[in-house]
Amino acid sequence: MSGLSGKAAVAGIGATEFSKESGRSELRLAAEACLDALADAGLAPADVDGLVTFTADANSEIAVQRELGIPALRFFSRVDYGGGAACGTVAHAAMAVATGQADVVVCYRAFNERSGHRFGQASPSQRADSTGLEFSWHLPFGFATPAAWVAMHARRYMHEYGATSEDFGRVAVAMRAHAATNPRAWFHGRPITLEEHQASRWIVDPLHLLDCCQESDGAVAIVVTSAERARDLPHPPAVIRAAAQGTGPDQMMMFGYYTGDLAALPAMRTVGDALWRQSGLTPADVRTAILYDHFTPFVLIQLEELGFCGRGEAADFVRERGIGLAGALPLNPHGGQLGEAYIHGMNGIAEAVRQVRGTAANQVDGVEHVLVTAGTGVPTSGLVLGPA
Amino acid sequence: MHDELTALAERLAAAGERPGAPCPDPVNAAMIRNWTQALGDPGDWSRCAPPAMIQVWSMQGLAAADAAGSVADGPLRLLNEHGYTGVVATNCEQTYDRYVRVGERLRSSMRFGGVAGPKKTAMGEGYFVTWYQSWYDAAGERVAEMLFRVLKFKPRARRAAPSAGGRYPLRPAIGPDTRFFWDGVDAGELRVQRCADCGTLRHPPGPMCPACHSVKRDFVVASGRGTVHSYVVHHHPPVPGRTPPYVVAVVELAEGVRIVGNVNGCDPADVTVGMPVRLVFERMDDELTLPQWVPADLPDPDPDPAPEPRADALAVPLTPTFVIATALATRDFTPVHHDTALARAQGSKDIFLNILTTMGLVQRCALAAAPGAALRSIAVRLGVPAYAGDTLTLTADRTGPDTLAVRGAVSLGDHVTATVHLTASGGPTDEEDAR
Repeated sequence: MSGLSGKAAVAGIGATEFSKESGRSELRLAAEACLDALADAGLAPADVDGLVTFTADANSEIAVQRELGIPALRFFSRVDYGGGAACGTVAHAAMAVATGQADVVVCYRAFNERSGHRFGQASPSQRADSTGLEFSWHLPFGFATPAAWVAMHARRYMHEYGATSEDFGRVAVAMRAHAATNPRAWFHGRPITLEEHQASRWIVDPLHLLDCCQESDGAVAIVVTSAERARDLPHPPAVIRAAAQGTGPDQMMMFGYYTGDLAALPAMRTVGDALWRQSGLTPADVRTAILYDHFTPFVLIQLEELGFCGRGEAADFVRERGIGLAGALPLNPHGGQLGEAYIHGMNGIAEAVRQVRGTAANQVDGVEHVLVTAGTGVPTSGLVLGPA
Repeated sequence: MHDELTALAERLAAAGERPGAPCPDPVNAAMIRNWTQALGDPGDWSRCAPPAMIQVWSMQGLAAADAAGSVADGPLRLLNEHGYTGVVATNCEQTYDRYVRVGERLRSSMRFGGVAGPKKTAMGEGYFVTWYQSWYDAAGERVAEMLFRVLKFKPRARRAAPSAGGRYPLRPAIGPDTRFFWDGVDAGELRVQRCADCGTLRHPPGPMCPACHSVKRDFVVASGRGTVHSYVVHHHPPVPGRTPPYVVAVVELAEGVRIVGNVNGCDPADVTVGMPVRLVFERMDDELTLPQWVPADLPDPDPDPAPEPRADALAVPLTPTFVIATALATRDFTPVHHDTALARAQGSKDIFLNILTTMGLVQRCALAAAPGAALRSIAVRLGVPAYAGDTLTLTADRTGPDTLAVRGAVSLGDHVTATVHLTASGGPTDEEDAR
């Protein structure tokens, strides 16, 4: 176990409602979610001395500080690479708390991703910085959306291991089944069948519409403090047993096509190895996991990279062992981003906390440790949360 | 809509010819000289006007917008309203009863022909709309008649909205470490960065060799052969400048590095992992060319070496000056023939030759092939646009004692195929002179 394991805990979670049009500014969403999380933690804005968000977030730490009336920040940080940042924000917060740089750090992500700027739309970039140059090998060919970038991996995965569109569809069906019984989920009460998945229109072949997560407006905030302090707060702490960021060889922002295996996610292998090493746990110790599900094929490949099954075996794992609530490894009991909401993975961290607390809408029996991952295909991150 | 259109067409056709309106100017030497200079026509037209110039006399010039509408306006508007928004001219047939002389005053009148459709065409489902224009002399005798036919079609795939100025919107950012690649594309080469010290090939390129950390770089020119390592077919959402569905592939080059590009030249359903592909260069606009891929077994549309042009071919370089000067000399002020930005905004590659000029060039080619003959008629089928920057190569072949087949080709294919009927000698001019 590493020096970070067990030092910090999630003491509070908060969120706005999840919608398609919030009707208010992203900064207001951020402030509302942070305040909600602090209330959940039994803390006040004056207790906060650290803020962490995504590089992609439109709301600066000082803007959120001003809205909440936080007197002073001692620690502020941002994590890059889109949804890959999610667990990274908590990792940064945990490191700050563990090293004494801060006492109470709030991690937040707030956006009007449906009613405002939609990530699923093509957005040409012309900057000649390193990221702009990466995009320049792809955008001119109309290769311009996350669905297309993921589909390129998915096709190769199908080619190498014989996975089918139905194998991807089983992930979507499970997520929508979970969302159907989660009142917070956008798709509450609206499960889908495999036939509906297969009949949904092409977005980027081999991905159907129902392989792609929804787009949402909303915000989520997570309060991190020391494990010791968390014990005195209202909820049972969700102790951070492991927190890691990772990249793979020749890493790009979503374009891991040039060397190595397209049917793999090496950055998630890096994160998984670190999580198991830090926590001293193995996949067998995890009763439920929150795997980032922006697109269904990457849920399968994550199962392989994290060691829940061997290379190319995830489709069989899903079909035979099951990822539903009654399966061997229930994934995303809240319905994931396919079913609950797309808040760039932060709503998954909140669900992991609820599973540890035992308060989830679809509570899995016998939960001790929960694995959470962030966006894949990009530099990514992960967490293992557990009881005190 | 079909029944409404048919009824309207029948009503218009039954109405017959509209009363003629006088042409703005008499047949005059100045307009003829403008025309012959613009088209490069070497003929002696001092007494009578070039026959293919007939439509010029009734053109309203810049006042066209104020002029009375065409007899086909009703059906064209109806088709527009029902989604047949595309329009392309398909046929123009001129019959010359006699040549007209300098100084004559002409009148012109129109009558509606008919509609035919719906027909499935390469452009999409559409209706052909035909109308006629006739020219009469002062005595009321007809001197020429023209059939004009357009296809009004439903554009098959909704094209992404062209950006301002017709500039392809998806442009690469180019930095000091990547400029050599794009310079290579402009030079017709696919360049792969090579470490000048250890020889490691690398794509995408970067400033430092990850293997030996040398910053000395050169490149190799790829053979252009590769295989599809993976691919996707983009359907949704719309991407500016692109028409779905289209294929994007990771191509593994014979040299061992991979590159992303589109696979063109085949049905997306025919693309497979492992498919051999070969390099082509696709010109996106005046400034940007992209390295692209087609199936390796796709016949080369531009075989090398190029076939020797025929010695008797008439090659007309379509400079912007030529396109604009001929449009204006035919009194055609439609902006797509002189305003590059506007032509591109409407989805064209560039300004292009107008039909009145095409008719004139067919005449020029036919008379070069049959010196001294007179023209009875020119019937053209119109093909691909003749854009500025291209070369129009016209050839004439005798297909009968009094008939020529004239073909005008540009780089995109046939711009015009025409049948020209001649009077070998004693043509209309001589008859007139004998009177």
